[in-house]
Amino acid sequence: MSLILPKFEYYKPSTLDEALELLAKFKGDARILAGGTDLIVDLRSRIKKPKAVIDIKGIKELHKLEYIEGKGLIVGATVTLNELLEHPIVKSKFHVLYDSVRQLADMQLRNRATLVGNICNASPAADSAPALLVLDAKVKAVSKRGERVIEIKDFFKWVKKTALEPDEMVTEVFIPEPPEGSRGKYYKATRNVEDLAIVGVAGLVAHPNEPSKRIVRLAYASVAPTPIRVYEVEELFKRDEPLPKLIDEAVNIVLRKVSPITDVRGSDWYRRHLVDVLTRKLLVELFLEG
Amino acid sequence: MVSLTFRVVGKSIPRIDGLIKASGEAQYAFDLEIPGMLWAKLVRSTIAHGIIKKIDYSEALKVKGVVAVVTGKDLPYKLGIYVGDRDVLAVDRVLWYGQPVVAVVADSLEAAEEAAEKVVVEYEPLPAVLDPEEALKPDAPLLHPKLGEYRRAPGFNPIPGTNIASKYELKKGDPEKAFKEADVVIENKFKAPMVSHVYLETMNVIAWYHRDGTIEIWSSAQSPFAVRYLMSASLGIPLHKIIIHRPFVGGGFGGKAGLNLEPLVALLSKHAGYRPVRLLLSREENFYIAPVRTGIIAYIKTGARKDGRIIAHDSTYIFDSGGYADYAVNVARAAWYKCTGPYDIPNVHCISMAVYTNKVYATAFRGFGHMEFHWAVERQMDILAHELGIDPLEIRLKNALLPGKGVLPTGEKLREDAGRLDQCLIEAAKAIDWDKPPEKPKEPWKVRGKGIAALYKGPAEPPNAAASAIVKFNEDGSVDVLVGTTDYGQGTITSLAQIVAEELGLPIEKVHVRFYLDTDANAYTWQTVGSRSTFQDGNAVLMAARDAKRKILEIASQVLHVRPENLELRDEKVCVKGEPWECVSLQEVVFGYTYPNGHTVGGPVIGVGYHMPERRTYLDPTTGRAPDGSPGAPTIFITFGAQAVEIELDLLTGKVEILRYAGAFDIGKAINPLLVKGQIYGGAVMAMSLGMFEELKYGKDGRLLNPNLTDYKVARAGDIPKKMIPIIIENPQADGPYGARGLAENVMIALPAAIANAIYNATGVNIYEMPMTPENVLKAIREQKPELIEKAKKALMEYLEKKG
Repeated sequence: MSLILPKFEYYKPSTLDEALELLAKFKGDARILAGGTDLIVDLRSRIKKPKAVIDIKGIKELHKLEYIEGKGLIVGATVTLNELLEHPIVKSKFHVLYDSVRQLADMQLRNRATLVGNICNASPAADSAPALLVLDAKVKAVSKRGERVIEIKDFFKWVKKTALEPDEMVTEVFIPEPPEGSRGKYYKATRNVEDLAIVGVAGLVAHPNEPSKRIVRLAYASVAPTPIRVYEVEELFKRDEPLPKLIDEAVNIVLRKVSPITDVRGSDWYRRHLVDVLTRKLLVELFLEG
Repeated sequence: MVSLTFRVVGKSIPRIDGLIKASGEAQYAFDLEIPGMLWAKLVRSTIAHGIIKKIDYSEALKVKGVVAVVTGKDLPYKLGIYVGDRDVLAVDRVLWYGQPVVAVVADSLEAAEEAAEKVVVEYEPLPAVLDPEEALKPDAPLLHPKLGEYRRAPGFNPIPGTNIASKYELKKGDPEKAFKEADVVIENKFKAPMVSHVYLETMNVIAWYHRDGTIEIWSSAQSPFAVRYLMSASLGIPLHKIIIHRPFVGGGFGGKAGLNLEPLVALLSKHAGYRPVRLLLSREENFYIAPVRTGIIAYIKTGARKDGRIIAHDSTYIFDSGGYADYAVNVARAAWYKCTGPYDIPNVHCISMAVYTNKVYATAFRGFGHMEFHWAVERQMDILAHELGIDPLEIRLKNALLPGKGVLPTGEKLREDAGRLDQCLIEAAKAIDWDKPPEKPKEPWKVRGKGIAALYKGPAEPPNAAASAIVKFNEDGSVDVLVGTTDYGQGTITSLAQIVAEELGLPIEKVHVRFYLDTDANAYTWQTVGSRSTFQDGNAVLMAARDAKRKILEIASQVLHVRPENLELRDEKVCVKGEPWECVSLQEVVFGYTYPNGHTVGGPVIGVGYHMPERRTYLDPTTGRAPDGSPGAPTIFITFGAQAVEIELDLLTGKVEILRYAGAFDIGKAINPLLVKGQIYGGAVMAMSLGMFEELKYGKDGRLLNPNLTDYKVARAGDIPKKMIPIIIENPQADGPYGARGLAENVMIALPAAIANAIYNATGVNIYEMPMTPENVLKAIREQKPELIEKAKKALMEYLEKKG
């Protein structure tokens, strides 16, 4: 890791159009700078060597944090994680998002890092991703050619790879109203406090005691090349059977879907074990709260 | 005799350098700049072991702003405090992945970095050895084929033709016979990894090789006088031609104890045409280049009687030294002569060695090998206690080294006024309610346990490691104090100021201890290591203050017409004993006394003092005895202590939380209880971090896998135990300043073992290896008691049924 940044052209557009123009011009050889908490590290280590860095913090319309009752929450590309946490509706309505962002990195980093940046970095360990997956978030991607909405489940393609085209950028994430009566939580296993996830589990549960109405959603970080939601367990929980039995079955399904690796943060066997026990703990807690 | 009532000593005075540190005004080497200063950048090895075939830096020289490119061959000097094995830059052969091979000097950091990227080095890889036990095998690749030709210090014992940088052996009593007589014999193997110091200020040096042959260095160094001495010895330059400037130092923990980058940067300055050069390591570079703490593989065999009395100890400590010997050979030596831990064992056989491996070299680290071997000894004590069905506290008390009775492994009898391990153990145990079982945790998948461990350590230094001090009076009756020690957080300069204020009857505000140090201006001390400063620099300051006092009384005696012994210093005055209204102010006498007619007697008062270890000996590396065969006496004091914890363990994840911690240490006298407590808290957090999180992880190819603070985990504020209980025990030592002993390292040593012992208490699972990360703890449970994990899972599901 170098002490200084590599050479690049620095742009700070004040409108979205200018930013999109630059993205088109550099054809994938430009990087967006919002919080910079991932980008600057990758620049210093020369993992990324872009020709241009486009700082979007000067684009006012991207600093949008808006809740529309009955519809959902819009989080613009330059909204920091701490701004998100400070918004009262996030804590009261979007529990699982609040809980995961609260555990993302540390206070200083959350002062700069953005939600959109966290998903665009597309780390398998992105803490906000499992929460956005269980909340069915939608990502707005914009380019000079126009705009499109990408379902969050289709957004992550591989380790550090997203569905974005080289000339596209994410302007906002839309998070629809969570299911009525739902509770959500994020469990994160770490080596010590304020660490990257060895395994992260997001859960969303509604009506746990009424099988026909019961909703259970589970999504994971750090257990596969991308954050994943395990849809296969969701039908299971509609069955009118004892919860411990359903949990056992769900854990077995999840364990078949994950493919953790061994790295400096944890071994594959430990990650599989954590998937098992954290899923159980999370569901027990959410069922008891319901 | 020491007075029993003190004005300043024993008072909790906030550190005198606190405000300027907190405000950011304190200057570190990092902050300094010299006009015209050049920047250096290092090119590092990309293999763990191999021969340098070719270095091509022609493209680097073409980069605008490049002034010089220097390779190992240009710097034909050997460095090393105890074994002269270290190249300034790798010559011919690289010994670890990341070793500096080439240095580029340019007029800007940008140019230096750009040029460094253009240097091409070709290697012929050799097989690398990463594990010190592997390195001991006869067919292991040899890191230092010329080991026999290197310079070595007295008492060090490299074995040419092997990877053993130094080896020690001692025997006391008849261990073979005792093992045969023992009721129970247990044998175990323990391990601890190499770890990093993670001081806040990374290594950085500015050096200016002047045209007149003088070398000036500004460095983040703990021991500037050692830097000067070792540079002088290695480069063949007289001492007075080398001046080390030492600003504030942003942490050291032993990692900046010796000679590091200073000679390299000095020589780069010369190669760059006598211009000042700065080298500053990024955090990642610091992980690759700067020395680390030794790892250990420890084998212990213990023989005991049924009643818990240990009669025989046999241990082999294999310390991982990395590519060079540096301080690791002295770490292995310190662990050797204290090999039994703080116990009085009649029959002992110990081997200790430092072994070369293809990793970054190891150096001093707060605790100096003692945390590593206490990890083994203190775990072994618990395993023995469980084997015999004896309480872990009781077995320690039964075998404790006690003053005036206990005999150390080198045959030395423990002095009569040494610290009391039994008191430390009892107090630490009491503080965590040792007699009561832990409360039941709220969640049924968690368990709680209590653990205790004992420790001892003294400074590991040569028998003639001196300290000195100068106390200079100013015109207004205030004093400047010049010492050689470096305060990089310990609080030493505050306690030294307290000693001076106490002796001279001054308010602490009138005592200035110089924060910054220059080797050509300050008083000498050997090094700032081994928890020696309060004892040695403290004694030196005490002697200097008394010397100044004697001179003051001599002058005042002429003024007051009373013999000096009938005068006393109080409230910034010299007064006649028994007639405290007959005084002359300090200000009137410390620069000589001037009579109304102008005649003057005396002159500016300067007190000087020193401390030299007394009756300490070299040790024969093959016997542990003094060279003449009498008992070996290596350390000037021993500070005993005990550390106890109560933990909670999540059986589902393996995560351990310390619910409360108590540390009790017999330090003779707390010069400043506030700062002593600071050491106890800080040391506990650091020890917990090492015990539970920290480890340098290497790939099979010898590449460091976690050279950053993302993946080299250090405790953060949220990891700190919520309840910490510091306990100060004061059985004074006659030759310590006011009876004081050192403490800074002792607060670290036994805590990891105490945590592991608590894990056993909670689960019946033995941990043999640090760090106790959740994964490692769970792995041990899975291997030894898998049923606990299944039970915990069941408890979780039952919890749902019960509550739901």
